[in-house]
Amino acid sequence: MTSQPGELLPKRNAASVGSTGADPGAARIPARLFGPGMSVAGQDVWLRADGSALAVESPALPLPCDAVRLRRAGFDLKGWELSWDTAEGVYALQALSPASATVLTSLLPPSLNRQLQTHLQRHRGGRTKRLLGWTALGIFLSFPLLLFAAFLVWSDAVAGWIADKIPREQERRLGELSFAQMKTGMKLRDDTEGARLLRELGGKLTQGSRYSYRFHLADKTEINAFAMPGGIVVVNTGLVAATRRPEELAGVLAHEIQHVELRHSLKAIIKHSGVSGLWMFATGDIGAGMVGDTATRMLSLRFSRDAEREADTRGLELLHRAGIDPSGVPEFFEILARKSGSPPAFLSTHPVSSDREQTLRAKIGALPQKPTAPLPWSPWPPAM
Amino acid sequence: MSMDVIDYEIFGNEMQYVEIELDPGEAAIGEAGAMMMMQDGIQMDTVFGDGSAQQGGLFSKLLGAGKRLLTGESLFTTIFHNEGAGKRRVAFAAPYPGKIVPVDLSEIGGTLICQKDSFLCAARGVGLGIAFQRKLGAGLFGGEGFIMQKLEGDGMAFVHAGGTLLAKDLAPGESLRVDTGCVVAFVPSVDFDIQYVGKLKSALFSGEGLFFANLRGPGRVWLQSLPLSRLANRIVLAAPAAGGRGREEGSLLGGLGGLLDGDE
Repeated sequence: MTSQPGELLPKRNAASVGSTGADPGAARIPARLFGPGMSVAGQDVWLRADGSALAVESPALPLPCDAVRLRRAGFDLKGWELSWDTAEGVYALQALSPASATVLTSLLPPSLNRQLQTHLQRHRGGRTKRLLGWTALGIFLSFPLLLFAAFLVWSDAVAGWIADKIPREQERRLGELSFAQMKTGMKLRDDTEGARLLRELGGKLTQGSRYSYRFHLADKTEINAFAMPGGIVVVNTGLVAATRRPEELAGVLAHEIQHVELRHSLKAIIKHSGVSGLWMFATGDIGAGMVGDTATRMLSLRFSRDAEREADTRGLELLHRAGIDPSGVPEFFEILARKSGSPPAFLSTHPVSSDREQTLRAKIGALPQKPTAPLPWSPWPPAM
Repeated sequence: MSMDVIDYEIFGNEMQYVEIELDPGEAAIGEAGAMMMMQDGIQMDTVFGDGSAQQGGLFSKLLGAGKRLLTGESLFTTIFHNEGAGKRRVAFAAPYPGKIVPVDLSEIGGTLICQKDSFLCAARGVGLGIAFQRKLGAGLFGGEGFIMQKLEGDGMAFVHAGGTLLAKDLAPGESLRVDTGCVVAFVPSVDFDIQYVGKLKSALFSGEGLFFANLRGPGRVWLQSLPLSRLANRIVLAAPAAGGRGREEGSLLGGLGGLLDGDE
């Protein structure tokens, strides 16, 4: 690579020091000399070192050992530079390769050896400081990633905490906004008998709630129902048609109402934006699209399953409080499970329905006995 | 290492390209995407890594490619080989306004350390490697980051940087304070470090930032007058589409608005 004369350490390298009969404890070290009137690339020379004096060979140049300054050199700081002043200017001699640097430091004359020791001492002293510096840098650089990881781990708690800070009025407006957006894509059947019954049933279930609920019937064959933050609940006609008695519809409504009461969608929104936002922050938006999205989706799925279970349980309690027979809920899931091999959209993120049905039946059994009156509406399903 | 001796000619003023003349059998390596044109008889061959280790195994190739990835270059290098009978020419263009600097590696001692991404092309046999900045301060505040590019060999190499380029020879012990980000390249005998501007007032209000890059001789250094990031910043600031001021479009005040605003 470097065009040194001959091989790197000819004849008397570190290993042969002392064993070469004629000149024990001496070495010729390849180095590069820089000085006034010389080429900017320097000149390859041999530095002769024997532990008591230094001399430059070819061209022979006096090296005033007492006036020489020693310092680290080279981009990787592995070499050494000797520099000294003359009448013409400053001369510098650099031994940059690790091998020649090692030989040089082992054969320095006493005065320079003292400088070397101070250097090494300072280096040792500075090591702790450097280590501290690198550690601090590492922490600083990985901080956003740590933050992201922490959010992933405690996302439920964090989202819950943030959701608690959001006033209900804000939540309601958020719901209105998303409903307005969604409304353009669906036909509402709010003036039918079915919608009237839906509202009546909803009113019965949400008595005394902090939210003011609105119930809508959407003209869609898909078996689906969803709740938006703030209390807007939309039920598809397909779902109502699939129920065999009003108690089953009441079960679905109770479930959706609990999503609202427990602020599930609000928390999901907070989590989504938190995860993608923090991911962008952590990575500087590089690849945020792919990894961030995947993480978000996985997270929302897990969130949904937990949330669904919670809504199921609390929905049963709500039905129980309202004096409605809760056995309509597992019945409805039975229908769903039988309906088709692939679960309907409404169930895509939900626990497997047959498991769910069993869990629900067990939970109903655990509820205290209470007389329930069957809901009076017939014929069922109502006209829509 | 066998180096090809290549003749070259640089064209253009602020947006340059370099035309390299290859004798039969000679080759040049170029940064992926830098080729502008080549004459008949020149074979283009893309290799994994930097193309310098012709005998190297898979591992050394992978290592070379990894290094290139670190320095922000493409994983592949393109070799332009003259298979024809006579002299043939291939040209490489600079990717943004600035100057192309020809560096004869044999003349500067065999090694050049340069800014990431500044490599444009070289004679075949020049090795592209990385040089890792071991000084924490210089890495953080020196404007060049922790990873720089190392060109090794004794042939011609061409590097490119923004604005006007200045080559300066530093005598032993002579030092030069440079705005961070303006350092393009230097030889390993030069000591590259940072230096605090000195006064709090200067640090805050001089606009030079907290640190200068300090280059200490002996050896040659290359400086650029206009780092690309600075140019890009000004362009974005002036671009209406990107939310800039877009004064030239003529506002309600028209030319007067421009007068009131002043100009830089």
